[in-house]
Amino acid sequence: MSAAALALAIASPSRLLADDAASGYGDARILDAMGAGLRLQSVMTHITGFDQFGHGYQAQGGPTPSSPGSERLTVFEPQVELVFTQGERVTHRVWIPVDVVTNASPDAIDVVSSASRHVEGGSIDWTTTYRADRQVDISVRSGVHLENPFRSWDSGMSIRRSYADDATVVSASALEVFDWFDHFDIHGDRSGHTDRNGTTGTLGLTQVLTPTTVASINYGLTFQEGTMGNTWNSVPLAAGGRGAELLPAQRMRHALVGRMAQWLPWNGALRLYYRFYADDWGIVAHSMEAELMQRLSPELYVGGTYRFHTQTGASFFTPLAPPGALLRVADSDLAPLDSETVGGKIVVDYPLVGEFRTLHLELACERYVRTNDLRVNIVSWATGFRF
Amino acid sequence: MTGWRIVQAALLAVTASACAAVPQNRRARLADPMMSLTDEPLDAARRQKLYDTREGAAGGDGASAGGGCGCQ
Repeated sequence: MSAAALALAIASPSRLLADDAASGYGDARILDAMGAGLRLQSVMTHITGFDQFGHGYQAQGGPTPSSPGSERLTVFEPQVELVFTQGERVTHRVWIPVDVVTNASPDAIDVVSSASRHVEGGSIDWTTTYRADRQVDISVRSGVHLENPFRSWDSGMSIRRSYADDATVVSASALEVFDWFDHFDIHGDRSGHTDRNGTTGTLGLTQVLTPTTVASINYGLTFQEGTMGNTWNSVPLAAGGRGAELLPAQRMRHALVGRMAQWLPWNGALRLYYRFYADDWGIVAHSMEAELMQRLSPELYVGGTYRFHTQTGASFFTPLAPPGALLRVADSDLAPLDSETVGGKIVVDYPLVGEFRTLHLELACERYVRTNDLRVNIVSWATGFRF
Repeated sequence: MTGWRIVQAALLAVTASACAAVPQNRRARLADPMMSLTDEPLDAARRQKLYDTREGAAGGDGASAGGGCGCQ
């Protein structure tokens, strides 16, 4: 039985058994669909540059052992996405992101050995979607990520069903991630390997509310187990010097996300986003975003975005750990913080003739500012063709 | 508490409106790319990575919490 058929057997066994051959889920039908030739539907490329400034207590290299060290880094991130169809029912999406990071995480490793001043990482992620019938799509996904001291594999599946002429869409997904990476101490000495795994499950509902309004709500849960840090982050100690992070071996995260898009009478659109997050490390976060877009011509629109994020810190976060603390972390990402993002973009979808149906161009600029001394400037450029 | 009330209101709005489906021939505005509930996938990926690696609140919503930078 194929993975897609197995997904349906779990989701709706009675339907599968009732009419296996005649339904969209029969092995023969799926294999017939897979046997058709590949047809390229779109090619998208995306290049992003991140320029980051700031300091964090987890980083060494400050003027004193208890001072925050530099978090200065630059990231060059090209991505490419290819979408193929295979017959009428099967769609493949291949996504390849690459990261080139310089001055990466100037923590102990950089200070001691410079081992991560230049890091290159890349992933390949393949998603195959099978359209079982007009209402049901089933997807399977797998990917691998390779980075200098780091390997990661992920695999997942999702099912999506629409109702009421696609006015309502219900979805569910599961994803398993396994990370395997080098273990360092805070002095930069390597000592074998360590790992962690994470399991995520999500449920989603999308609803067309009016002819000009659509909204969705999603709930997701992630359970992680294993080595939860990168192993080389350090913590300033009240007794002097620095020590390693002491983290729980498990983490349970919950996220509830609401989205809404509203068409505006002057050929514009307003998109709203809200996310509530809570985990068992004591972090509670709220993220809100509003994006206002204006169509200037049938081929061109512009947009402006503002995002605000606020979070409490992990219950064991400290910039100066007392003696005898069983758990401790000084990572500035886990501190209580607020952040703001302001940005804008220009998007062109220009119709072409012949094989190329549309040319897609997009330029976006953003500035991200965090209250605990972190600033990032981001510029991204996208080019793509739809066939 | 305020956040929970917003969530309750959103749930009520979504579920109550499901009783009256909007016919397909009245959804032309929703087909505009500006009305997509999510960004174009590559743009969404780079934004998600920005936040996941700089805020301790990643995961739980379909994205992997971990894979990649090893800093979560």
